[in-house]
Amino acid sequence: AQQSDPATLVADQVQLTGTSTLIAKGGVEVIHKGAVLRATEVRYDSTTGGLEILGPITLTEPDGTVVLASAAELSADLRNGILQSARVVMDRQLQLAASEMQRVEGRHTVLSRAVASSCQICADNPTPLWEIRAQRIIHDQLERQIYFDNAQLRMFGVPVAYLPHFRMPDPSLDRARGILSPRLISTSRLGFGIEVPYFIPLGSSRDLTLLPLLASKDVQSLGMRYRQAFRTGQIELNGAASRDQSLSRGRGWLAATGSFTLPRGFYLYFSGRVVSDDAYLRDYDLSEDDRLDSTLQIGRVRRDELIEARLRHSHSIREGEANSRLPQLIADLDWQRRFDAPGIGGKLTFGINIHSHRRSSDENILGRDMSQARLSLLWRRDWLLPQGILAAAELGTAVDLNRVSQDSRYSSRVYTATPMMRAELRWPWARTGATGISDVLEPVVEMVWSRQHNAGDIPNSDSELVEFDEGNLFGFSRFPGYDRREGGRRINAGVSWTRIYPGGTSLIASAGRVFRFSGYDQFSPVSGLNGDRSSWVSALHLQTANGIRFQGRATFDDSFDLSRGELRMGIARARYGLDASWIWADADPSENRLVDTSEWSLDGRVKLASNWTALASGRYDFGVNEATRAGVGLEYLNECLKVEMALTRKFSGTAAIRPSTNFSLSMDLLGFGGRPSGSAATRSCSF
Amino acid sequence: QGTALGFSGLKQDPGAPVEVTSETLSIDRDAGRAILEGDVLVIQGDMRLTAPRVEVIYGTEGQQIKEIHAQGGVTIVTAADAAEAREARYDVATGGLVMSGNVLLTQGPSTISGERMVADLRAGTGRMEGRVKTLFNTEPKAGN
Amino acid sequence: CGFSPAMAPGGAGHALWEQVQIDDPAERTGFNYVTRMEERLGRAIRPRFRLTWTFATQAVGAAVTPSGNITRYSLIGRVNYSLIRIEGGQTVTSGSLESFTSFNNSGSTLASVTAERDAYERLAVILADQTMARLLAAAPK
Repeated sequence: AQQSDPATLVADQVQLTGTSTLIAKGGVEVIHKGAVLRATEVRYDSTTGGLEILGPITLTEPDGTVVLASAAELSADLRNGILQSARVVMDRQLQLAASEMQRVEGRHTVLSRAVASSCQICADNPTPLWEIRAQRIIHDQLERQIYFDNAQLRMFGVPVAYLPHFRMPDPSLDRARGILSPRLISTSRLGFGIEVPYFIPLGSSRDLTLLPLLASKDVQSLGMRYRQAFRTGQIELNGAASRDQSLSRGRGWLAATGSFTLPRGFYLYFSGRVVSDDAYLRDYDLSEDDRLDSTLQIGRVRRDELIEARLRHSHSIREGEANSRLPQLIADLDWQRRFDAPGIGGKLTFGINIHSHRRSSDENILGRDMSQARLSLLWRRDWLLPQGILAAAELGTAVDLNRVSQDSRYSSRVYTATPMMRAELRWPWARTGATGISDVLEPVVEMVWSRQHNAGDIPNSDSELVEFDEGNLFGFSRFPGYDRREGGRRINAGVSWTRIYPGGTSLIASAGRVFRFSGYDQFSPVSGLNGDRSSWVSALHLQTANGIRFQGRATFDDSFDLSRGELRMGIARARYGLDASWIWADADPSENRLVDTSEWSLDGRVKLASNWTALASGRYDFGVNEATRAGVGLEYLNECLKVEMALTRKFSGTAAIRPSTNFSLSMDLLGFGGRPSGSAATRSCSF
Repeated sequence: QGTALGFSGLKQDPGAPVEVTSETLSIDRDAGRAILEGDVLVIQGDMRLTAPRVEVIYGTEGQQIKEIHAQGGVTIVTAADAAEAREARYDVATGGLVMSGNVLLTQGPSTISGERMVADLRAGTGRMEGRVKTLFNTEPKAGN
Repeated sequence: CGFSPAMAPGGAGHALWEQVQIDDPAERTGFNYVTRMEERLGRAIRPRFRLTWTFATQAVGAAVTPSGNITRYSLIGRVNYSLIRIEGGQTVTSGSLESFTSFNNSGSTLASVTAERDAYERLAVILADQTMARLLAAAPK
């Protein structure tokens, strides 16, 4: 017979009794194919090939599982036999204990009258946070599954649930078919319910998760997530089919996203979403978007070239918006190519944008459709002048070809050409103080001219929403799109000051304004961009080494009357964290903002006792003097249990979308399946 | 009967005659001792002991060998087993054998190594001490 | 008062002019960031330094009407950068920056989508200018 691998026995002392038994005593180790058994005494009978072992015994399996026992009878190859009062520790986390444990062919471990828990058991309080007591527990090391027969889940020693038979993956398995941690919810729209996700791996590159949800307001919903990975990309489908009180017929949604790499550096990205009715996404707490966008995009980006072709369909579920009168279908082709200007130095940038949008309604004006092509050629050159002045000159022109249909107010074909030029001077000064504080002061001034068009030529469909910050203080046009191009003679001027402390704290302050010599009222009167002098635009950024973060921006006029202000603040510390944001904006009908907007939002977390974290969040609208959202949460995390509780209240409501309160509780017994990311705070036994 | 794991292989009849050969022999009659050196070979029954240096101690009656003390790398071979060590002391009368210094006992497929071995050749039992290492095959013998 | 022109000969920035190879962009926001950085540092002919960078963005709701419509988004941008000496590979300076721009979501779909794309472009300009200021403050003499 093929000579099987020999087992090695090492001990302080080996006694040979002349018959056929060998008695090893003192620090005995038996090693066989990676499994190591340690005991105080081992009696080996060469005729039966069996080992009689006196404890305390430690058997370490090749896969890292550790078995502790007081006594055992095992085969010489440690694959078969019985251990007394055994304890199995898997992945240093999950423990199974039993009065008797049987090893079968080195694959199955059968524990009778056993207890399973991953909680740390301390001498002073032996009852673990949770434990599963079972008549029989079978651990299949090949399939890496653990089977429980008439099992009882106990929390704090109190029986909580009884399960005749169930199965869990052992810690070494991360893509195992089976139930994921359930989630309890109680929302004003769905009632009290439970969602029990079931994960099904389909081969190595695909998986399917089913999310059945049952809730008291006779809600039956089956959610689904399907993922598939390809060599060049992946796709993900999410969706659900549901029935509940609010609609007689079934409801549901389906979303698909995917991204692929195409040859020669191109990428393909698509995402789409379809919903059965407007309130569905909010009722099932899936998303707060009020516009459902579906996009298909192909593109490539290189240092000197940007190509992007995009088809977008968007469906509004916003109250009072008729989709037929919105540009639901939008197609865009963007191509920018930059190359060295022959002979005269600097760079030439050639740009082309082909755009078209369709409104399904055919009414005049309300059903307007447009197709446009924009070509631009821009020359830019940068110089570093001897005194350290950075000079830049740009000269170019843009040609817009517009075709307007179904809008009698505009001629159907309009062609415009916009020559433009600008010169920019930038003079950064720097110093580093003795204490290591360094400062950079950078004044910038820019003279710009571009031909001005009268606003009535073409409808403004893409440039209604104008922002003004230090990102577009300089440049040719503060209009976001192409339908409007800023014109006239103007000077943009600004200064920024950056201070960096040796410890890593940094402060950036900047301010600027536009001085106009023609084209005084191209923007909305409220935007602060009109007149011969624009509002001041200022920004302040603070980042401290110990986790404080402040970013603020404000536009105000000469009498310091604020027209727009935005703050984002945050403190991030080990024990607590706080994020706050505030926004103030004057009413501006051209941006559909009929009343001043002033809103605060707060998000905080604080670590209570070592394993507890409390969370709170809120959003308050000063415009209508009421809170629009509030939420509190509590999380418990230790080495064997994760509990998350969250209570959120959305006060805002409309006819279709009612205000709602959501409570959710999810509990996760750690130790089964792959280890969750993040370090679990292991409770320590206090002695 | 399976290969006994013990010293039965080394079992000896203490009464069997002991034959000793070596390159040089020096006898110290009044101390009752003889020193043999150079490829010493001691044979008793089917046991053969070889060592570079052996000291033989005679009993009080002068003729009977009481004890053999071999040094410098001893090998004891019998029909079924073999044992090696740096040094061995064999009390012929009682059958008591003590071997020490990198002791290696091989019996068929199994080997046992350790620092010191104490064996009773008449009873066939023995004890190995000092980080004993045993290699045994895990296939139980056919038929049991 | 200790200030001196940063880009003048002997100034900290002078050593960087047309000497920095900026890592290639992979998507649109990166394209705008690299374009702006190359305007500020000049295109490197024989680069002595390399600027590695990452650019992460996240849009969060900034203003929500009582009826639950999100009318304004804040687009948060984070840049991690490091300036590395090509020969020898030491990191001259590195850091991380964060800022945000906002865009309205109150207009028509086309207006909101265009405002969003413009917000990304402005964010790239703001964070590129902040990166440049940091490089001037910490650049090698």
